[in-house]
Amino acid sequence: VSESLHAVLVALGDDELILGHRHSEWTGFAPQIEEDVAFSSIAQDEIGHAAAYYAIAGSISGDDPDRIGLGREAGDYRNAILCELENREWAFTLARHWLYDLADDMRLESLAGSEDDKLRALATKLRREERYHLIHADAWLTRIAQGPVEGRTRLIDALSEAFPAALGLFEPFETEEAAVKEGWLPVPSDELRRQFVATAGRRLDELGLPTEVTAGADSAAEFLASSSGDLIEAGRRAAEPEVDEKNLLGGRRGRHSKDFSVLWDTMTKTYREHEGASW
Amino acid sequence: VVKTATTHLEQSIWAALAGVPDPEIPAVSVVDMGMIETVEVDAGRARIVVLPTFTGCPAVPVIKSDVAAAVNAVEGVDEVDVDTTFDPPWTTDRITAEGRVKLREFGLAPPGSSGPVLITEIGLPKQAKCPFCGSTDTVNENAFGPTPCRALYYCRACRNPFEQFKQV
Repeated sequence: VSESLHAVLVALGDDELILGHRHSEWTGFAPQIEEDVAFSSIAQDEIGHAAAYYAIAGSISGDDPDRIGLGREAGDYRNAILCELENREWAFTLARHWLYDLADDMRLESLAGSEDDKLRALATKLRREERYHLIHADAWLTRIAQGPVEGRTRLIDALSEAFPAALGLFEPFETEEAAVKEGWLPVPSDELRRQFVATAGRRLDELGLPTEVTAGADSAAEFLASSSGDLIEAGRRAAEPEVDEKNLLGGRRGRHSKDFSVLWDTMTKTYREHEGASW
Repeated sequence: VVKTATTHLEQSIWAALAGVPDPEIPAVSVVDMGMIETVEVDAGRARIVVLPTFTGCPAVPVIKSDVAAAVNAVEGVDEVDVDTTFDPPWTTDRITAEGRVKLREFGLAPPGSSGPVLITEIGLPKQAKCPFCGSTDTVNENAFGPTPCRALYYCRACRNPFEQFKQV
């Protein structure tokens, strides 16, 4: 029984479940019918992926995967805060979609080298499916980057806002140290975050979407992706406060935003009222 | 090599599985789809390993119970265990040649069949061949569709919308 692996699996499942729930809120409301279909389908994928992570976690703890997904108190969820924020407008949805799916692709690539057989196999499988999510998100960014100024401006604003929260995907898992030591995590979260910042910054630069890209609270450096050159280190930044004040980090430790309590209440209501029901 | 009774029983099980339809695409069987990884029998106890197609596909529990029922009905089988695994991952190159023909007849453009696909090669073809008229004058309208495995296309030649089975 590995507690350190269990905690990692639950956190990964939580990211997928919570973002999947947000995506599903576009069903019937997306600005185009094709996007209504796309976000509904992506939501179904993500929630299915969450179930697959919870199934492995359940095989370790003996817990029912449904109970892991829906039977916990709000403070027991370990998803990054990025995933729980309200959909707001289309630009924010797309910015988050792109940042998440790029991060997920990099994370799955690393997990495909995990020492755990089940996690390794699942990550290999999921990455092939998630490819379509990244293609979809990247196509939207490309389209808006080449489009009228208003859309581009709104997207840049949304990316700047979502980027610090995306770094929450690489906050250490509660059992990070042991999970790295035991080989469940082939690449430490901290290292993955650095790779993510560099890759995302490079791509945003190619797209001509200048976005303030902070390398994260504890590395105390700030980068600026400009449309004319490579990442520029823009200056040293004093530790934590600024990003933390916005309540965008801390998800891996069970800290969540106000948006999450509403989501949690809606998402778990049926389960709480009819525990053990099946359909 | 002497064919044992077990081998014969395994063949009967494969034959039974060839009659189990994919619940979302009933024109093809779970064998056509390459979803059956293992059939083993030990003293009347059958063990079937199924590879889920798309992880989030809600048809998987239905497939498991349909597989169990079909195998249970085979003479000589007393008990059935149906397991699923992601190792190896199900990929679209596992769909048989016959399965691809059946997909097309069902109205779904089959995925490309040129062997295993690298992760970086996964994506949507610009032109998928229309399953109705065979034209390649088609355009992708959506990377997503009514089920996790389908993308939407439109055929400019016969003016029909159609779905393509996504390559993974």
